[in-house]
Amino acid sequence: MNEELEKLKGDRKLPLSVIISRTLRYIKDEKGSFVLSLVLLMLNVVLDSVTPLFTSKITDLLVEDNINIRLILDLVFVSFAIMCINQLFLYIESQILQKSGQRIIYRLRNEIFEHIENMSLNQFNEMPVGSLVTRVTSYTASMSDLFTGVLVRILRDFTTIVGVYAIMFYISPSLSFSMLGIVVTVFVISYIFSKTVKEIFRKERACISDLNTFLSENLAGMKLTQVFNQEETKDEQFCEKNDKLRKQRFNVTKAFGVYRPLISFIYNASIALCFYLGIRYGLSAGEIVAFYLYLSKFFNPIQNLADQLNSLQRALTASERIFNLLDVKPDVLDKEDAIYIEKFKGKIEFRNVWFAYKEDNWILKDVSFVIEPGDTCAFVGATGAGKTTILSLIVRNYEVQKGEILIDDININDIQIACLRRAAGQMLQDVFLFSGTIKDNITLYDESFTDEEIREACIYVNADSFIDRLPKGVDEEIIEKGENLSQGQRQLLSFARTVIHRPQILILDEATANIDTETEVLIQESLEKMKSIGTMLVVAHRLSTIQHADQIIVLQNGEIVERGDHQALLKNRGYYYKLYQLQFEN
Amino acid sequence: MKKTVSYYVKKYIWLFAIGIAADIMVDLAQTYVPEFLGAIVDIVSIGSDNALMEVSGLMKKLLLIALILMAGRALMRFALMSASQRIEAHIRHDMFRKAERLSQRYYHENKIGTIMSWFSSDVEAIEEFTGWGTIMFTDALFLSAVSLIKMLKMDVLLSAIAVTPMLGLIIWGNRVEKIMSDKWEERQKQFDRLYDFTQETFTGIRVIKAFVKEAQELKAFSKVAKDNADSNLEFARLSISFDVWIEMIIGVTITLLLGLGSYFVYRTSLNNPFILFDHAVVMTVGRLMTFIGYVDTLIWPMIAMGQIMQMHSRFRTSSQRIYSFLDQEEEIRDSENAIELTDCKGKIVFNHLSFAYPDSDIHSLNDISFEIKPGEMIGVVGKIGSGKSTLVNSLLRLYNIERGTIMIDDIDLMDIKIKSLRDNIAYVPQDNFLFSDNIKNNISFARSSASMNDIRAAARFADVDDNILAFSEGYETVTGERGVTLSGGQKQRIAIARAYIKDAPIMIMDDSVSAVDMKTEETILNNIYEKRKGRTTIIIASRVSTVAHLDRILVLKDGKVEAFDTPENLLKISPTYERMVYLQKLESEL
Repeated sequence: MNEELEKLKGDRKLPLSVIISRTLRYIKDEKGSFVLSLVLLMLNVVLDSVTPLFTSKITDLLVEDNINIRLILDLVFVSFAIMCINQLFLYIESQILQKSGQRIIYRLRNEIFEHIENMSLNQFNEMPVGSLVTRVTSYTASMSDLFTGVLVRILRDFTTIVGVYAIMFYISPSLSFSMLGIVVTVFVISYIFSKTVKEIFRKERACISDLNTFLSENLAGMKLTQVFNQEETKDEQFCEKNDKLRKQRFNVTKAFGVYRPLISFIYNASIALCFYLGIRYGLSAGEIVAFYLYLSKFFNPIQNLADQLNSLQRALTASERIFNLLDVKPDVLDKEDAIYIEKFKGKIEFRNVWFAYKEDNWILKDVSFVIEPGDTCAFVGATGAGKTTILSLIVRNYEVQKGEILIDDININDIQIACLRRAAGQMLQDVFLFSGTIKDNITLYDESFTDEEIREACIYVNADSFIDRLPKGVDEEIIEKGENLSQGQRQLLSFARTVIHRPQILILDEATANIDTETEVLIQESLEKMKSIGTMLVVAHRLSTIQHADQIIVLQNGEIVERGDHQALLKNRGYYYKLYQLQFEN
Repeated sequence: MKKTVSYYVKKYIWLFAIGIAADIMVDLAQTYVPEFLGAIVDIVSIGSDNALMEVSGLMKKLLLIALILMAGRALMRFALMSASQRIEAHIRHDMFRKAERLSQRYYHENKIGTIMSWFSSDVEAIEEFTGWGTIMFTDALFLSAVSLIKMLKMDVLLSAIAVTPMLGLIIWGNRVEKIMSDKWEERQKQFDRLYDFTQETFTGIRVIKAFVKEAQELKAFSKVAKDNADSNLEFARLSISFDVWIEMIIGVTITLLLGLGSYFVYRTSLNNPFILFDHAVVMTVGRLMTFIGYVDTLIWPMIAMGQIMQMHSRFRTSSQRIYSFLDQEEEIRDSENAIELTDCKGKIVFNHLSFAYPDSDIHSLNDISFEIKPGEMIGVVGKIGSGKSTLVNSLLRLYNIERGTIMIDDIDLMDIKIKSLRDNIAYVPQDNFLFSDNIKNNISFARSSASMNDIRAAARFADVDDNILAFSEGYETVTGERGVTLSGGQKQRIAIARAYIKDAPIMIMDDSVSAVDMKTEETILNNIYEKRKGRTTIIIASRVSTVAHLDRILVLKDGKVEAFDTPENLLKISPTYERMVYLQKLESEL
């Protein structure tokens, strides 16, 4: 993941203590398993560290003139038993850790998902979906890894180093003391290496992303390259980037190609040194064998420690990002005493409404109108006049800055958002289809709807004819967000989706795209029927929709310039008249 | 010529030879290390007087081996990784060259994302196998062979005891790799599902909110998250239990060797060696330790076997995909006797041209016939889908057309060298695509030798010079994702400058001023009248104002020519044109 690109607006640095204490809260529920696995981990380290002692003892016994074979075989058996127990502990310990880790991730994901869901559309617009998704999916895993992975590994490596050194020191203080220099050298080299390689990897990733950007751009723009005969130039540019990546890859090879052999040299050299000094300091054969075995146990954790520091850094960043997101408070919320309304009559009123998405850039300027229950009102105007905005304000996707919006004479801010939205059936311009079947997209995965009800809704909105023609009917899968359906069919689906949810107010943003004539007729008929459901507000692009509206509101630059019914407005020969000719007579 | 991976391997065969030689040297040297432990233990156990002398001699040898190991390992990595990285770059380059020669049809039929994945993950799979695969395979082969030989030399019986569980390790390791990579994929699938679900919900959040389905969506999410946790756990459980089993196999082997070995040492010390099938097992402590050391070096190659096989199967599928891409047919090719288009006058004749896109049976162009005189400036109008862009695509030979249906300067378009044809046409595309590069390079795209004066002249032609200078970095301003975001109108005008700088006999503008305001449009049109006077210019437009003052206008309707005449005459004979003029007037009144 590219950390810089994943950054969201408003991300800020948190003090380390805050991150740690907030992260700790999430593992509180897992305290029991955590303590248990720590105990097992310690036992693990201890058992793991003592096993070479058996081999050492056996060697010593074998060197003696009178070999006590019974004792040796006993020791072999005991060491085998210890190994078995050790593996068992390891298994249990990692199972416990994994389970609690997954539980933490699960809870964390739910919490963040719910948190994001509750943000307003305005807040959504400011955050790229990709970054939000990463926070729910990947960052949660990294954050949980802090306790169940990174810290555990650091603890194990650290205790192993200390434990093994302690045993070595017990066997021979002087030899251990001589080895200290090597320990420090390996650690320092590893530390430098992990810093260097982190930078090299970063550069490699940058090269990869550079090459990929170039490729995707040039594959998409290949037509232009071919038309302009620039294949050679592009080829040169490609070679340059391709070669840069190759060189950067080789830098990775160089870093590892120096580090790994160097460490292996130090390891072998320290074995040589330990043999020589072992004899010089008069160690027994068994003790030398023990040192030989311990040295290998010693080298891995030291090399790892440096890498673990990088993982720690990553986990902390992930936690910080998650907390940053959780700190964003949803900005459209129910008032504490918001009322619940079972059914609306459907009177809608705008009183001197002013609205801007961004400060001072007014989209709606002092808009006022009343729509009586059961009426149909069409909004017309050029692109950007504010038609769609009016529709989204009614369902409180955004908060108005000035003025008020009333439904059944109640300010919508005093009504619970959920019941307000349940009452208003919204059919948006681009019909968003979820993956799943046609049925799933009508019920929106709500299993309480019966097949009867689904059928009825489809018939009601004229969607039955095209659905029946599909091989699997309502159980047909939606492919690639609806590529297998025409624009008109998708509209019909969204009508069915709305009707089945039994709204009292209908909100429709008509699609502008070309719709084939056959479907067009179906849509018109269906709209006619839907008018009887309740109050209907339409951003109209279709002549028939406008002609049959009880009221037409004409908008220009966020202001209402004309209103009335179709005939009256045409007679006016004003803005509407021209707009009408432009948009509907073409 | 068909290229397979072996072709690329042969190119870098020396690097492979050096790398493999170094690897073998390492394998040989590595098996000496256990012998030192044995020797030391024996020296100590005998307790000879000049032990220190002997040891210091051994120590020097061990240090020498350590040096050889270090040099060999480094050399092996450098040579083999360098070779595999070179192969990777080489293949990718060949693929890019192929991509440059494939037709637009190919790009319509294949998603960019899919092609991209061949360029990245599939090429990387080849790199992985030729690099790491070679290292691991050589290791597995030689390290195990050398260790085995040395073990057999020491004692056949002990070797048999050691190798039996090892065989289990090979079989087990292979199975484990297979199961684990399946489980890994399963886990990855669950993660993708979680990712897709989250992404879909957040993308469709408007619908969720509109129908108050937040709670229900959360419930569905929880289920996906639960499945995700379960598959992670399943993977972790298997992974750790396989590790435990491998450790157990190793543990059993070592225990057997230690137990039996000790017994053999004991019998040897009693001068009564253990005898099986007339074979006396003579063993000292030191030799036993050496033997165990050999077994230790055998473990890794055994486990690696499974990994190599997985790598190989990935390599096979990836290389298949790459071969099939490299073998794609290049449809747009020069005909056998293709000629250069020299000193082009710009006479273009369409002679009963009909065209249908490869994947469609509807004719986008139907029996189109008309003639553009040399140096004429014509407009093309018509509704969306009337065939305007298809006309241009055929003229640029982005698709093959029937012979004799388009003639340029009386030469059949299909007989003109493609490069030369395109050199003679300055084209402004409809999608105003710019590369993410600075504005200067975007304009001089077709003429990298262009001077700053030429570039600015082209920009002035497109009436965008002032806008560009207004950017803080002027012509060095980078466009695209990582640079400034240009408005549609600015992009269109830069695209016009990019075409104009070619100074080509024929210029085609495909709806290229739709996003600029009326005044700018007028300036650009005036520049066209002035600077391109006497040179063939085709302007496709959606607004009448764009074409109203051109010599003649072609009106297309449903892929057919409705009329081709002067603007004045068209008002009388073309209903489509007349309607456009009327609406335009109306619009200007608003």
